[in-house]
Amino acid sequence: MGGERLKIILSLTPPLLIIFTLFFGGIFYGFLQSLGYQPAIGKYELNFSAYYNVMFSERYAKLFWTGLGLNLWVSFASTFLAAVLALFGALAIRKTFFAKTICNFIYSLNLPMPHLVVAVGIIFVFSQSGLLARLASQIGLIASPGDFPVLVKDKYGFGIILAYIWKEAAFFFIILMSVLQSLGENFEELAQSLGANRWQRFRYVILPLVMPNLFSASIIVFAFSFGAYEVPALLGVIYPQMLPVMAFEFFLNPDLNARSEGMALSIIIAIIVMILVVLYFWLTQAKIRKD
Amino acid sequence: MSKLNIKNLIKSFPSMDRPAVNNINLDIESGELVAFLGPSGCGKTTILKMITGLFQPDSGDIILDEQSLLKIPTEKRGVVMVFQNYLLFPYMNVNENVGFALKMKGVDKNIIDQKVKEMLELVKLPDIGLRKPKQLSGGQQQRVALARALISNPRILLLDEPLSNLDAHLRDEMRDLIVTIQQKLKVTTIFVTHDQEEAVLLADKIALIFDGELQNFTSPKNYYEKPKNIKAAKFFGGVNFINAKKDNNNLSTTIGTVHYKGENYTDLNEDNIITIRPENIKLSKNNDFNDNSFKGLIKSVIFSGTHTRYKIIVKDLELECSLQSVGLQDIKTDDTIYVHLPSDKIWAMNE
Repeated sequence: MGGERLKIILSLTPPLLIIFTLFFGGIFYGFLQSLGYQPAIGKYELNFSAYYNVMFSERYAKLFWTGLGLNLWVSFASTFLAAVLALFGALAIRKTFFAKTICNFIYSLNLPMPHLVVAVGIIFVFSQSGLLARLASQIGLIASPGDFPVLVKDKYGFGIILAYIWKEAAFFFIILMSVLQSLGENFEELAQSLGANRWQRFRYVILPLVMPNLFSASIIVFAFSFGAYEVPALLGVIYPQMLPVMAFEFFLNPDLNARSEGMALSIIIAIIVMILVVLYFWLTQAKIRKD
Repeated sequence: MSKLNIKNLIKSFPSMDRPAVNNINLDIESGELVAFLGPSGCGKTTILKMITGLFQPDSGDIILDEQSLLKIPTEKRGVVMVFQNYLLFPYMNVNENVGFALKMKGVDKNIIDQKVKEMLELVKLPDIGLRKPKQLSGGQQQRVALARALISNPRILLLDEPLSNLDAHLRDEMRDLIVTIQQKLKVTTIFVTHDQEEAVLLADKIALIFDGELQNFTSPKNYYEKPKNIKAAKFFGGVNFINAKKDNNNLSTTIGTVHYKGENYTDLNEDNIITIRPENIKLSKNNDFNDNSFKGLIKSVIFSGTHTRYKIIVKDLELECSLQSVGLQDIKTDDTIYVHLPSDKIWAMNE
């Protein structure tokens, strides 16, 4: 028994070492930097002034809070809309019909595509010099491509939301298809025989059945979109700026003192995401205990 | 109280080389408890789903109280189905599950609460309203599913293999409960089963279905005593079959002339088959019988507790006989014996 346990510990040691060194080591060093520890420029004193600067100083406070607002808006909106789109897509094509394979393919095609490519795709299609603007201008809907609404590099983050919807709907779709297929149609048929109409079947049967999986997937998507850099960097504006972009710009600043602010911002992003994850686990555990 | 007529019902699926349901005709009287009996894949559940409206028939009609159901959507038919695996909504407690149908109809919450209480008392589970389905045993889940189906006073109640997922002792309990409730509420009920014992114990009438075709629709007693064909007889445990020809009000067979009293003699073809249940055959070491007595040789004797089964060879034909073990004569393998086929217990069927 003891030998067996030792064998398990020994076999787990190499991956655990890598995880602890790279992940927790990196986070710990980043946290130290956010507290002002920068030996390269002779700063060894630990304090929370970088956090204070980012959140409350006259210079950065407005940037931070509008950035946080934009982050929350973009993440909530893109997660919610991608989930809704995927849910209705999955419900529409789960039953056998002639276009099922094609629809399935189109949805799944997005999954392996890098976010960067999707962001470029959004520029090509939705920007004022993009395909839709030119097409609308060609067919006379607008006088010139410049009259096309600003959907990319706009202050509301529409372009970023579009990119995330495009990308994450596929992720939701794959999960929902697998859930719906494992559930089958018996619950709906039963509800129907008990007198539930189409809307009632959706509201009282399908939605509660898929909600746990949809909620779990939403947490993952929200956490990702909240902390991701490349799409907001490509499709965002200078002000308001999403927090990951702001953090990276702090980090690229030639003034090495700004690195602490960059790291503080990164840690704040990580803490917000972690709070959400903990909240999610707490809610699910509470539900399990209640059941 | 609802009368159901199924007329020339046909349903095919692209994946099958024969119709799943082939020209079924049934008249089910109001308040009857009917079993659809047959092996897996014979089309029983497909018929059930056509009655609920979950499947549309290719042709034929389903008439409930003189009104065709085909144009009426499932949710408005008043036909409620209880599925084989109960399908209680896992995110609802028992009260919410049972009250589901009334909630869908927009009934007032106080009335729903009252009806739910009544239904749970009816299925003898008055104190479990706040439990979630996974906190219930299989038997309790089945009862809750039944309560949920009955709460809206369905015109027809359909039960898909209602006892198949239960242990033997729970099965007996549930069987009694279904019969009691059905008789109390007088709701026209159809249940699907592949177990002939279950069908016999529960049903007023049994529709025997093979390969999508109705073989017979009659009382359980008739399946034992007067089966319509050899398939039906075999499904109900028939083992003795003898080729016969009509012969001057009697039947001529390979073991000799058999005196026949069945009322269907005039309906029989020239060539037919006679059958007799093993428990209706009598044996004697001396020829004590006046007619239908044939000399044979005991091939095997198998004691099975209350009964003893004998295999007897009569002129190259093997017959099987089952006698009560109590007070049995001493009959052994290789004994010569006289086999009596009582004329009122013999039944002849067209081939």
